[in-house]
Amino acid sequence: MKIYTMPENDRNYLENKYHKTSEPFNSFNRMAYHGYEYDSSTGLDDEGIREGLEKLVNSLCGEPRPIIKAKAIEYVLENTRIDVNEHDYFVGIYSWNRLIGKYTVAKWRDETYAKARAEAKSTKNLDYGKTGTAWIGLDFDHTVPDWDSLISLGFVGIMKRADDSYERLKSDGNISEKQEAFYRSIKIEYEALLRFIDRLYRYSLTKDFGKAGKISACLKNLKEGAPQNTLDLLQMIYIYFMVSESVDHYQVRSLGYGLDAAIYPFFVRDIENGTFTREELTDFIAYFIMQFSAIGSYWGQPVYLAGTNPDGTSKVNEVTHLILDVYDSLGIYNPKLQIKVNPNTPKDFLLKALDMVRSGSNSMVFVSEDTALKALMRNGATYEEALDSVIKGCYEYTTKANCIGISFNTFNALKPIALVFNNGKDKETGIQVGIETGDVANFKDFKEFYEAYLSQFDDIIKNSLYCLDYMEKYIHEINPSSFYSATIPACMESMTDALDCGIKNVSDVLVNGFASAVDALMAVYELVYEKKVTTLAELKDALENNWVGYEKLRLKALGCKHKFGVGDKMADSYANALHHFFSSHFVGRKNCHGGNYEYELHSARAFIDQGKKTEATPDGRRDFEDTSKNVSPTTGMDKNGITALISSATSIDLSVSDSGACLDAMLHPSSVQGEDGLEVLYSVLNTYILKGGAAIHFNVFDANTLRDAQAHPEKYKNLQVRVCGWNVLWNNMAKEEQDMYILRAENII
Amino acid sequence: MNGKVTEIKRFAVHDGDGIRTTVFLKGCPLKCVWCHNPEGIPFASQLAYYENKCISCGECIDACLNNAHGMVENSHVFDRELCKACGKCEEVCLGEALKFYGKDMSVDELLPALLEDKEFYDNSGGGVTLSGGECLMQSRFCEELLKKLKENGINTAVDTCGFVKREALDAVMPYTDIFLYDVKAFDEDVHIKCTGVSNKIILENLKYIDSCGKKIEVRIPYVPEFNSDQIEKIAELLSQLKNLTKVRVLAYHNYAGSKYASLEMKNTLPERLPKKEELENAERILREKNISVI
Repeated sequence: MKIYTMPENDRNYLENKYHKTSEPFNSFNRMAYHGYEYDSSTGLDDEGIREGLEKLVNSLCGEPRPIIKAKAIEYVLENTRIDVNEHDYFVGIYSWNRLIGKYTVAKWRDETYAKARAEAKSTKNLDYGKTGTAWIGLDFDHTVPDWDSLISLGFVGIMKRADDSYERLKSDGNISEKQEAFYRSIKIEYEALLRFIDRLYRYSLTKDFGKAGKISACLKNLKEGAPQNTLDLLQMIYIYFMVSESVDHYQVRSLGYGLDAAIYPFFVRDIENGTFTREELTDFIAYFIMQFSAIGSYWGQPVYLAGTNPDGTSKVNEVTHLILDVYDSLGIYNPKLQIKVNPNTPKDFLLKALDMVRSGSNSMVFVSEDTALKALMRNGATYEEALDSVIKGCYEYTTKANCIGISFNTFNALKPIALVFNNGKDKETGIQVGIETGDVANFKDFKEFYEAYLSQFDDIIKNSLYCLDYMEKYIHEINPSSFYSATIPACMESMTDALDCGIKNVSDVLVNGFASAVDALMAVYELVYEKKVTTLAELKDALENNWVGYEKLRLKALGCKHKFGVGDKMADSYANALHHFFSSHFVGRKNCHGGNYEYELHSARAFIDQGKKTEATPDGRRDFEDTSKNVSPTTGMDKNGITALISSATSIDLSVSDSGACLDAMLHPSSVQGEDGLEVLYSVLNTYILKGGAAIHFNVFDANTLRDAQAHPEKYKNLQVRVCGWNVLWNNMAKEEQDMYILRAENII
Repeated sequence: MNGKVTEIKRFAVHDGDGIRTTVFLKGCPLKCVWCHNPEGIPFASQLAYYENKCISCGECIDACLNNAHGMVENSHVFDRELCKACGKCEEVCLGEALKFYGKDMSVDELLPALLEDKEFYDNSGGGVTLSGGECLMQSRFCEELLKKLKENGINTAVDTCGFVKREALDAVMPYTDIFLYDVKAFDEDVHIKCTGVSNKIILENLKYIDSCGKKIEVRIPYVPEFNSDQIEKIAELLSQLKNLTKVRVLAYHNYAGSKYASLEMKNTLPERLPKKEELENAERILREKNISVI
């Protein structure tokens, strides 16, 4: 429902705040841009900051890394240009481009990786990376600060809590040099932050436009204590986000423990006390979420909504509705909204969200609370903790303030099949990336093929985790997380960096190409052993030649009946078997910090990037085409419609996947039009959740529209599609990527 | 007992309430000029050949026992006269150019497929719909199938043109939750012109079902220049029904042209499509009689 219109000048200002809309923009590299020039009297430009940082870091040689990094952050906050603008309620930080990285984190990362490789005496992970087999890497991109602490204490209170804890430990005589340095780094950073807010405040007093008074009052509150009203709250979330993500090196993956839940008490109080009118509050929310649209990160800023209270009632409130309405009115696709759903989520709220989805505002994912609950409790969370879970990425759930992901690793489930055909060798690079499982032509039955696949995968996992151990071991030396850790009560209690086991350090494991792997295994079974239309020797030759000369065989592979996503019992059984194979490797296993591996059927961009390094496979896929993504079918293979797709996806126990699995569902507009159609969409969502689904998102398209959009991009400037955990504009996609969507849309019923 | 099945469609959302699976059965006593399921008209099995999809892979040649498929200058040719519609070629067709309509299936064979989506039916108020063609031309089969569906707690709908014997209705009545009933014209001459048959039996059967207390959803295909002048009279007729749940006005579309061609059946589809205002007007007329229109 279009309930809100932002003044045109303000909208235009916001859209250009972080990069100029009139100039080319690469959302992967969003921080490489600036919107407009700031008042030069307020500070240095990027070049000036870089020069100062270089001198500063050189002068700090020998200091503990947390101190060096804290002083670098302090330098940026003291010297960056700032803005308080008549078109915005939120402040401007010119140096939002991680300028400290070159002199600190990036340098320390290279040094630490080299040390880890030397100690591990293995570079196997590099081979896996080059060949699209697996990516092993440390993660600083999935943090959720303790919003409860931030909101109740404010930046001032966060610092005071650190002081109190330090004094207590010191008086007990229990403080190490490392803890001393960690505390000092927090002190430097938060004092710098408060001085920075004071600088903004004083600058705001020099302005006399309409919004300036509200901004000054808000900054005054934040420099003195905890947020007092809705604008204070949103300004604080925004400032934390900008400093953590754009000055420091930690991406912030949720804005409040539920943006709606965070705002609601302030919203109610502001109206009761007459602090702000409903119209003003609506403005604040709109300007706040427009920031993230304008920042325009490729992966989309995650914001979750809804959820369930401990007494079983829904957290959906009038602010939840308002956020949806404002979002819809603005017609944006970033931030991406994550809606927590369980059978008690109010139907009117879900109908509103689904109505937006079917109208094209589909940057929304629905996440099952029940499945999250099961997965988190299996990992040791209490019922209350699991119920109150946060979404820390595209779909992944975790518990509040007691664990942090330290690595983000992606295994390609399809690659080992190609390796079986090549006796462990990567076709493109010639690297012996896998083990020698023998000449596939000599395999006597399907069991032998299947076991060879599992052996290849087993070896990849074993070697990867071995290398990962060495990388994770030194993670705290690369990117001290003082700014983040200060928000976490447990880290303050022990005065320990979160990444140095101040809280649980978990390793995320993503499995990409799941359906492709099932389909490829099934194609071998069906074509070679069931229908006997080919042999493994012939199939090997076909794959070596990228199917050239074997088009009929390729079509037979594409036409196999045993596919994942069509409700085929055999394919679904193998999907289950693979799922348990992966989970048996990861679930319950401890990383070198004593934390869990958290396994999920999630692809991020790996379905494109690992696909580009994966040779032809028996499912009919050609060299370097995309793999399947998430727990979704191979493109174009969900030919029996969405009910069959959901049956396949939920035939596997998705709660075994520790932190999520997402199903990408495509629907034809005609099946969800009208009031009946909205009910149908609601029933599809509800049934998926009841059948044990984890996360689901929808693309509602018909192939003709997409074809027209490809031919006439000018007519479809706002058409967006959900890629994986995020949306992109149709016109920003490569033609090959667009073709994959058209192919899938052609097959939907 | 076997039925002759044209097609099974999962996630059918326009064939009754909620999410449903629709079983299309072969054979229809009517020949509506606008028919968009021409494969449902003949009772005999048929092979559809979509020439534009054929990649001339030649797989069908080996599969065919009757030499209906051949290759001339590397291009596939199909001789319908020789085709016995056994369906074997559909299984091997690599371009999905061949489609077989009219598989003989028993109730036991069909039932598991229809129960697959039970949770979707239950959550959406949906179920299974029997349609056609005219499904009640195979009324004994329908009776047996519907009975089994009811035993499994499935909501059932029968989509009928009503041009069937009273016994056929009686056979399925106890196991049918709702009839989706087509009313194509009120005036007999218009009906004959549109469908080739009188609507006398159809209108009597409609009243009969109503008198049995069964729920009825009426569907009116709106075809300009054919039955578009019938709406007021149909509205008057429908306003007298006691068990009418709602009415759908189905906008005529001409998407079925390629189906006629693939089956080598004479394409009778009218050219003119309904305008939005015409449909809205038809719905308004119905609503004026206090009829619920969706």
